[in-house]
Amino acid sequence: MSILTPPAILPDATAAAAPRPVRPARRAGRSRAARIRYSLTVLAFLLPSAIPLGLFVLGPMIAAAWISLHDWNLIAPMRFVGVDNFAQLLADPATGEVFLHTVGYIVGYLPLVYIGGLLLALALNQSLRGRTLWRGIYFLPVVTSWIVVAIVWRWLLNPSTGIVNTALAAVGVDGPGWWTDPAWAMPSIVIASAWKDLGFVMVILLAGLQSINPDLYDAARVDGAGAWRRLVSITLPMLSPSTFFVVVISLINGFQVFDQVYAMTGGGPGGASQVVVQQIYDLTFRYGAAGEASALSWMLFAVILAVTVAQIIGQKRWVHYA
Amino acid sequence: MNRTLHAAAGLAGITALLLAGCATQPAGETSTEDVTITYSNFISNGGNEENLAAIVEAFEAENPGITVEVTTLPYADYGTALQTDLAAGTVADVFDIEYANYAAYQANGVLAPLEVSTPDAYRPSLLEAYSTDGASYALPSSFSTVVMFYNADLFDAAGLEYPSAGWTWDDERAAAEALTDEAAGVWGDHQPVSFYEYYKVLAQNGEQFLADDGTSVAFNTPGGIEAAEWLVGKSGTVMPTIEQGQGTPDFDTNLFLEGKLGMLHTGIWMFGAFADVPFAWDIAVEPGNTDQASAVFSNAVGVSAASENVEAATKWAEFLTSSQTMVDIRLDAGWELPPVADEQALATYLEKDKPANRQAVFDSLDGVALPPVVAVGQTEMQDIIGEELVEAQAGRKTVEEALASAEERINALLAG
Amino acid sequence: MPENRVLASRPARVVRPARVALHLVVVVGALAMLFPFAWTVITSITPGAGLTLRPSLWPQDPSLEAYATLFAGRPFARVVLNSAGLAIATTVIQLVTSATAAYAFSRLPFRGRGVVFAIYLATMMVPLQVLIVPLFAELRAFGLLNTYLGALLPSFASAFGIFLLRQAMGQVPRELDEAATLDGAGHGRIFFSIMLPNIRPALATLTIFAFMGSWNSFLWPLVVLRDPELQTLPIALAGLQGQYTTAWDVVMAGSVISILPMLALYLLAQKHVIQGVANSGIK
Repeated sequence: MSILTPPAILPDATAAAAPRPVRPARRAGRSRAARIRYSLTVLAFLLPSAIPLGLFVLGPMIAAAWISLHDWNLIAPMRFVGVDNFAQLLADPATGEVFLHTVGYIVGYLPLVYIGGLLLALALNQSLRGRTLWRGIYFLPVVTSWIVVAIVWRWLLNPSTGIVNTALAAVGVDGPGWWTDPAWAMPSIVIASAWKDLGFVMVILLAGLQSINPDLYDAARVDGAGAWRRLVSITLPMLSPSTFFVVVISLINGFQVFDQVYAMTGGGPGGASQVVVQQIYDLTFRYGAAGEASALSWMLFAVILAVTVAQIIGQKRWVHYA
Repeated sequence: MNRTLHAAAGLAGITALLLAGCATQPAGETSTEDVTITYSNFISNGGNEENLAAIVEAFEAENPGITVEVTTLPYADYGTALQTDLAAGTVADVFDIEYANYAAYQANGVLAPLEVSTPDAYRPSLLEAYSTDGASYALPSSFSTVVMFYNADLFDAAGLEYPSAGWTWDDERAAAEALTDEAAGVWGDHQPVSFYEYYKVLAQNGEQFLADDGTSVAFNTPGGIEAAEWLVGKSGTVMPTIEQGQGTPDFDTNLFLEGKLGMLHTGIWMFGAFADVPFAWDIAVEPGNTDQASAVFSNAVGVSAASENVEAATKWAEFLTSSQTMVDIRLDAGWELPPVADEQALATYLEKDKPANRQAVFDSLDGVALPPVVAVGQTEMQDIIGEELVEAQAGRKTVEEALASAEERINALLAG
Repeated sequence: MPENRVLASRPARVVRPARVALHLVVVVGALAMLFPFAWTVITSITPGAGLTLRPSLWPQDPSLEAYATLFAGRPFARVVLNSAGLAIATTVIQLVTSATAAYAFSRLPFRGRGVVFAIYLATMMVPLQVLIVPLFAELRAFGLLNTYLGALLPSFASAFGIFLLRQAMGQVPRELDEAATLDGAGHGRIFFSIMLPNIRPALATLTIFAFMGSWNSFLWPLVVLRDPELQTLPIALAGLQGQYTTAWDVVMAGSVISILPMLALYLLAQKHVIQGVANSGIK
């Protein structure tokens, strides 16, 4: 690390978090008027988002919590049942299964989409002929609807006539049953999802890469750092806020995976790829159990919140802010 | 800051709750001479919007003072929107329902009892399907039946006789085996493995899905197992397997269109799609085993129990489902079949060609298998039987295991 | 040793096997990415693809019939305008609400900030499917059913956008605002003249995703906008699939229409992602 001598204006991002300047709020001896002015400033910056989020997201969330204590089919009047819905969900083996399938999805999806997206962003950050065009092409799947993507991937992964198994057969591998086989249904969804979302990760990481000061690289070259060294010592640390964002968002979205499952397997075969949110949708709109659905979504909420808070606490170890 | 947020959230939450709580509450106020009624539908979605508009226009001309406001939703998402409306008390005066949901809506008091001015206009079995304890709670708006389509050229090439009214499962099986030529990619038969086929083949075998009291299932019998085997056993012998593509959207109709399928069990709504194929085809009533039984799908309209204009709404519901204008427009457009009793009115339908044997559509009504219906757990029951049958089709369970498992799960569901 | 060369020749122009391989991988990967879209376009110009739902890369008797069907007998232009209007409004509003909130979370310390930020993130953690019914009841109470405002309100602020911009602001050197503070600039000025120009790549990124989120949103517009005059594109496209049958060529034509504006927006925003750095003032 000593070979790196970044320009003085930028803090050494590779070092452990540098001591922050003294925070204004903690500054002693500020006048009352100044404190009020500061509070108003904070409010002015926060209220435009706090009001709509409070009214139109938190409000309905709390309403959902209330509904979770009731037996309700959306049609007849609600009937208060206390925590019965939660007890029933905990006793039902299906609940554990849908959570397990969801976690299985995340475990497969996250490394694939992050590593793939990072490699793509790095490749398309190079000076390539027609770079904008390539970026556009890699972004296409992100904007294509799941209906179309699912049809194409089911076709590619068709166990008997699909291109994938045909190619595998050519090299002597007996391809799996993919989405027709309970053991391979979720991997099929994972592959299609990672493929579709590569462009999403690429866009976020490209923006992050663009924000890295090129002088850092020049300085590193002067110091004789090779490509790998530059990646590990400059790019990855400088990119860590973007990486953190991608991981947190992917986990939050991953726990709520639904569209692709619905389009690719409908939760089958035999419920092998049924995920939490699909269960929530079925309970609410198809099985007339809105109370149970709300209870299940609050259980999901608790899990996502725990995972996210753990990440926020853990980020201090590896995320480097300027 | 925190406090502001919590206060805002709390307020919104409580407001939302209070509203979500009162489920069926009448909306708005009107009712002088001129009334506007709302009609929420999916039946016109996907190409018949203008035909519905023409029916509305004729109704309004005949009933000055009543205006009909139409909202059309995609079929796949209609249920979600309707449920949301019922929950929030914003349901339209008149709205589409499917037979499978009728019992649940009726039992929950969503539907107003209807005073039908001309009950004789309807095909009795259809009107009866939407009645409870002698009162009509919805009116059938159309129906379709499922028949057996066959590729006559393939039958000729194999030197087989065409399917006819007297056929049984054995005849169908023998023909399917003779027609199947896997090397040429030709399959003998195609019938989906699903709830909608299963209750019908049960009826074709003299069995029933639910016990008479409707609180438990009755399909796990030797006859019920035989029926399930008839469905599932086609896969991989005379019908492609799931791995070969069976079950993907439009797979079966594509195969038929390509001239590579001998027989196909599907609805009469496919007539239009098959009109221009380069081979000869026709239809026949589905063969049964011990009984003849065909599936009939019908849509219906209900009037909201919370409607302020039940009378005007009922008038519109009747016009939409039994008027001569509707019959003419539907037949002209090939927009399913009108639910009317008068077969004379359907004469123009019979005269059309492609397929020639349109009489089979009406013959199939002589033995109708109605879907089993329960007031609580209908959709889940359908999902369970479909899932278990597919397990058997894929060979992960035997038919006996699948039906035993389905029996246990559905009985638990019905017990509450 | 290339490492010892002076910085003059930054992107190596020498043909190296690594660069050839890179180009090759990018091109092959691009083909795999392009395939579904190509198939969508081809199906849309294959008349009576009606039922041949089998991916084929050779259109038979290509024609624009499906596009004509799409625009005939439906207020399709109106539908596209509705979607575009809502998407543009959502994007502009979210840029404002996200940037201001992100500034507070990045640069304005206050007691309980971590908790408030966690609450913001928490708004992403409950699936929309269970929020629909209470939200619908709430908007009904406000008399906002069947209005554009009712469709917009729930997406006025987005935790996703706030988080994205907060992370971008975290990459902006604090020395920049400190220098400005010494010059007497308040938070308003720092926000406008230092922060916003420095996070242009992230703003461009958020523009893409905010627009996309609104343009593709389905469940909420479906239940809140019932008036045919107010219908949005995804709902209209879903309406092309019937109870029993689907005209796939028309559905695919609709897909193409829905993909193109987003692709155009992306390419446009990409330029800003790159220019953003050139002008960003990071020096």
